[in-house]
Parts: sequence; structure tokens; C-alpha cells
Amino acid sequence: MALSERRIARHARQLLLPGMGEAGQERLLAARVRVVGAGPVAGPALLYLAAAGVGTLWVDDPDPSSEADAGAWIHPPDGWGRPRSAAAVEAVREVSDLVEVGVARPGARPTAVLVAGAAQEVARAVAEEARLLGLPHVVADADGEGGAVTVVPVGAPCYACAFRAGHGAEATPAATAQVGALAALEMVLLVSGSVQEPAARRIEVVRGQPVARATLRLPGCACAGVAARLAP
Amino acid sequence: MIPRARIDIRPFACPLTWVKTRIALERLAEGEALEVLLAEGEPLENLPRSAAEEGHRLLAAEPAPAEGPGAWRIVLVKGAPREEGI
Amino acid sequence: MSGLSGKSVLVIGAGGLGGPALLALGAAGVGRLVLCDDDAVETSNLNRQPLFGEADLGARKAAAAARRLSRLYPRIRVEALDRRFDAAGAVGLAGSCDVLVDGSDNFETKFLASDAAVVAERPLVHGGVLRYTAQLLTVMPGRTGCLRCLFEEPPPPGAVPSCAEAGVLGALAGFAGALMAAEALRLLAGEPGAYAGRLLVYEARPARTRIVLVRVRSGCPSCQQRLGLLGGPVGPACEVESSRERGGRP
Repeated sequence: MALSERRIARHARQLLLPGMGEAGQERLLAARVRVVGAGPVAGPALLYLAAAGVGTLWVDDPDPSSEADAGAWIHPPDGWGRPRSAAAVEAVREVSDLVEVGVARPGARPTAVLVAGAAQEVARAVAEEARLLGLPHVVADADGEGGAVTVVPVGAPCYACAFRAGHGAEATPAATAQVGALAALEMVLLVSGSVQEPAARRIEVVRGQPVARATLRLPGCACAGVAARLAP
Repeated sequence: MIPRARIDIRPFACPLTWVKTRIALERLAEGEALEVLLAEGEPLENLPRSAAEEGHRLLAAEPAPAEGPGAWRIVLVKGAPREEGI
Repeated sequence: MSGLSGKSVLVIGAGGLGGPALLALGAAGVGRLVLCDDDAVETSNLNRQPLFGEADLGARKAAAAARRLSRLYPRIRVEALDRRFDAAGAVGLAGSCDVLVDGSDNFETKFLASDAAVVAERPLVHGGVLRYTAQLLTVMPGRTGCLRCLFEEPPPPGAVPSCAEAGVLGALAGFAGALMAAEALRLLAGEPGAYAGRLLVYEARPARTRIVLVRVRSGCPSCQQRLGLLGGPVGPACEVESSRERGGRP
């Protein structure tokens, strides 16, 4: 699947990155990412995934937008009350007409999943579902003035293994933007294959400083089974 | 050395000049040559340097008046793939 | 939040770094945002500049940014200046705001921003992204080193590839821009900056963070000039200042 002239022009600056090139950009184009959430963490994440040239985006969020979404970058006040996912789809289309974007629907088959700012129970359930489907996934959690992004390539220690409780404080708009953008960044690195060995890691942002740690499997976790099955 | 491929980047503006060249090089095997038609001035000054920074070799550079005013022809030989690891 | 409505931030550049910074600052409720950008929106911008969409191609960035920000945040005041941040207006603009955020993409402007911040006595959040690396530094004039303390002079042309020649990853610029906004908000709240006198370098592929301490350099032309203007000590006193910062003895 060669890149069209339009895509080359759109992604010129990204194509120049070492380890990216046409091959990496084509992998992004072939990717179908399901984004769970359409609020303040998902907003920046969606815009950056679209801008990076991800081929297909599905937005999965049943709730209507409200003042709580004022910091999402994609929900102007004149649209509050509408379903968040529909508004998100429109916002992505404004940024790029080259991405296939729509509200998530049954039968859609993503190649990767990004959980953006979902409540803990939802995040765990979606991450587990993705793991069982053999899909790489990134989970973004904003917390107070920072947050964390957990990267789970196929077969890696799962989100539950990596999880560490934060304050549980309401996230500020700068924090949701940090975590949303970082999640998109990690997804782009994962999908484009610009890193030889995709890193299983959890990156916490604490007082403006990113701190990354490799994730470790908790003894006895079911996620070990997947790794054994998928090992070469 | 007979170039394996040939591109004319004169219709494009920076950064597409280098992007297009890089994509064309990406499609070649190591040691194969790419002929590039470009304009004197900024593209001629910057492109060979960008190519050298990525490990490709400049084999030839000469004015090509038959192709049009200000046209130059350069030949780049694709270098070894870089260690792209972290 | 109510405290922020009386504050103002100057953002230099509305592109890869300035864009996300403006979006985050507006969302936080900063009362007045002043932005400065003399460019038009181009196709290759769209991989990393979330203020702009397809419909903005060809438009002036300042005007397009103002439209987007006003629509998202109707209660804040946006002053979009369609001009270059240059020597003639720099100090005046800097002085008219509480904090400076520098999202410019060339060294000449970055150094000008640092000089203006030092003269106008305003904190400056400096940021830069290139390929897979982002860096952040906060200049607290009179207390921490400025950009000239760190880099004795701008690198010669061609030594560092400009954004036009090298790759940039949109999401990394977004992350850096959001970090810059968070830092500006800390400064507006009167809290110590996370990058004050500490250059943070983040390499995205290994997810590695490094911190480089930036002390006031004796002989720094920018800091020296300011201290001279105030009638205070110059030269060796800069070293005294910095060792006090570290908690050591002069």
C-alpha cells in the first residue's frame, strides 16, 4: 500500500524521522485504533493520532459532552449535550480528511486499543479484553496534575500488573493534555515499528517530569499465559 | 554506475525535496544509485548534506543545462542501513 | 481557577509547541492569552499543529488560532498578533504579560525571548522538540541561568538541523507543549517551577529523562547587562547567586 502524494505531503516532517520512513508511515496507515473515551484525555490523543496518519480511528464513548469536557480541545461549549463520540469524530475530520474515523460499532476489528481517561473499572476491563484478543494497547490515566501512560505490546505484562494507584484527584486540563499527547506518542511508536523492540513500560508524569519504568509481570497473573502462547 | 532510479524534485518545496529523495532511497538496496534532478541554490546546498548525514554517498554532482535553467544532476549511492535502535 | 482569570501569558509561536500550550492554558482559564505568529498554515504543519485543520490551510496562523481558541474558550481574551516576535517589540510584549512561553522554532527567536524575559523580569518557559527529543527550561531572571548561560551563543547555521530539515513527531510536540503550559500555570500560582534552572531533556523512544542544571554563568552577556542596569553586582556575584540557589555557601 504505497502512500499517496497527499499523504506524503501531509506527513513530510514525520517521514523524515529515523526509523519511520515510508514503511513506518504505511504501518500507521494500516492501523485501526479503537479509542475508548472522548473526553479531556482522548481529545488531544485523537487529534495527534489523526495528525500522525493512523488510517482508521473508532471512538467509543456513550456519554454526552458537558462543561467537564471544556479542557478536551474538541468540545466547544456550543456543542455541549451532544454525544461525545460524535463530536469527537467531527473534530478529527476537521483536522484531517485522510483518516477514516467513526463512532465505534459492533463488528469493528481494531488492530490496537487506546484507553483514554476512563474510570479504573472500565480501563481494566477494556485492557483485559484487548489482551485476550491479542491486541497491543495503551492506557492513559490522568491524575491531579499529572498521570501515567501504560504501554502493553502483545505478550507484555498486562495493565493490571503495571497498575499503581495515584491520588485519585481530579485531573487538571494541563494534566489531561500531557497524558493524552503522551499516550498518542506511545501508540505511534508502537504501531509504526520505529522502535525495534517495543518497550513494555509505564511512564508516570510527576510534577512535569516523565519517569518511565519497565513493567513487570506479577507472579501468577493470567497474562503470563498469553506470552507463552505467542512466544516464537 | 548506472542509476537504478531517477527522480526530479524540482517541482517540490522544502521539506518535500528531501522527503521524496529519502523515500526513493528507501526503496533501493544498499549500493544502488539514485539520480536526482534538482535546482541550484537551497536544494543543491542542503540535499547532499542531508543524504550524507544518513549514511548515503554523493557520487556525482554536475550542472544539467539540458534539463532546464538552473538544473543540476546529482547521483546518490544508498548507504548501509543505520542502527535504528534506541 | 478564579485567580487565573486576572493573569496573562504570552505564547511565542502558535505551531507545534505553542498550539498545545495555548489549548491547555485556555482550558485552565488563563484570562488573557497573547500569541505571536507571522506564518500561514501549510500542509506539512498538519502533522503536529492541533490548532489548525484542513479548512485553515492558507490562512494566517494568528487569525486561525484566535478563531479556534475563542470558540473553545469564549470567556477568555485572546490577542492574536500576526507578526514576528522581534527585537523592536519583544521587551514591551514581555512586560505586558505575567509569564512567557516560547514555542518558537528557531534559535534567533529563542535567544531573543530569553533576553526579553531577563530585561522585562518575567519568567520564561523555553521548549524545543527535534526528532524524538524534547527539552524544557524555565528562566527565572535574576535567580536562575538564562538561555545564554546555557548556550554561550546560538549554534552556527547548519550545525543543528532546523525543523524544516529534520523530522518532528507531532505527539511529542504536543506532550512538550502541555508540559510547558503546566509549568506556566505553576509559575502563575507562585509555585517554584519544575524546570527553573534545570534543563529537562526527554528522549521519547527509550522514554529517558535527563536533567541538566543551568547555573547563572559569570560572563553571560544577558544576565550581566541586567544586573548592571539594576546597579547590582556583576560577574562573580552571579556565582554567589547560583550557589545560594543550591543551598551551598557562597
